[in-house]
Amino acid sequence: MPYALCLLLFVIGLYCAVVKKNMVKIVIGIMVMEYAVNLFLIMLGYRTGGIAPIIDRGHLELETGQIAATFLSSSVDPLPQALVLTAIVISLGSLALMISICIRTYGKYGTFDITEIRRLRG
Amino acid sequence: MKGMTIIVKTISSWVKVLIFLFGIYIIIFGHLTPGGGFAGGVILASSYVLLMLAYGREFAEKNLSLPVASKLDCLGAFLFALIAILGLVLGGSFFVNFLYQKYLPGQALNLISAGTIPLSNIAIGLKVGASLFLVILSLSICCKDFRPDMSANKEE
Repeated sequence: MPYALCLLLFVIGLYCAVVKKNMVKIVIGIMVMEYAVNLFLIMLGYRTGGIAPIIDRGHLELETGQIAATFLSSSVDPLPQALVLTAIVISLGSLALMISICIRTYGKYGTFDITEIRRLRG
Repeated sequence: MKGMTIIVKTISSWVKVLIFLFGIYIIIFGHLTPGGGFAGGVILASSYVLLMLAYGREFAEKNLSLPVASKLDCLGAFLFALIAILGLVLGGSFFVNFLYQKYLPGQALNLISAGTIPLSNIAIGLKVGASLFLVILSLSICCKDFRPDMSANKEE
């Protein structure tokens, strides 16, 4: 069920990016798609009732083998979280690029409507 | 961009220091608590963005000018690469934690522990903060002469 909702979010973003005529709305749709993918990756590593994958002082009082055992049995998967953190950084960079393209296009044409931006103008 | 009213200016001049300190805290404690270089760098940049929104672009540019921010950006990337190369030289492989193995075997979960990881966090925080500030500064410079050329439209 959560995966279906995640897919629904992705489809909403795809609809927004494909159907809308406004450039800013297209950018918003692309970002919604990216967040849907991030949410999907995070949910892959989730376990019900899991804790955050951080070793704190309570863990350190145990033996080394016990630390690994309790950590593995109680925490969520930390690998997709690190991956998604990198993906968020990259989506921030691409968002800045898309916004700057929108600003330059508006300065050149005076509109955000992609059906009116047709002719190449110097 | 002249900035906002005096209420916003006063409040943001108090709050900006706290936001900056919180960013430094997030960066320095990045290996112990949630956070780290990227999150702390975003918070550092957001304090300058608050300054830019409240006082206008010129004031923020006077505080942290564009060449200085660019140099900080390059310094962060250079420090990060330097730590990686030092791991190659001193430890035998890329990004190896040479401080932790040889010189600084400190107690786990203290502030001074984990070898080169806090240094990498500081480098990433410098890089992310400066470059995010540069992104928003250049976007607002892009908006400066932001009048679509209506006279050219009428001629056609």
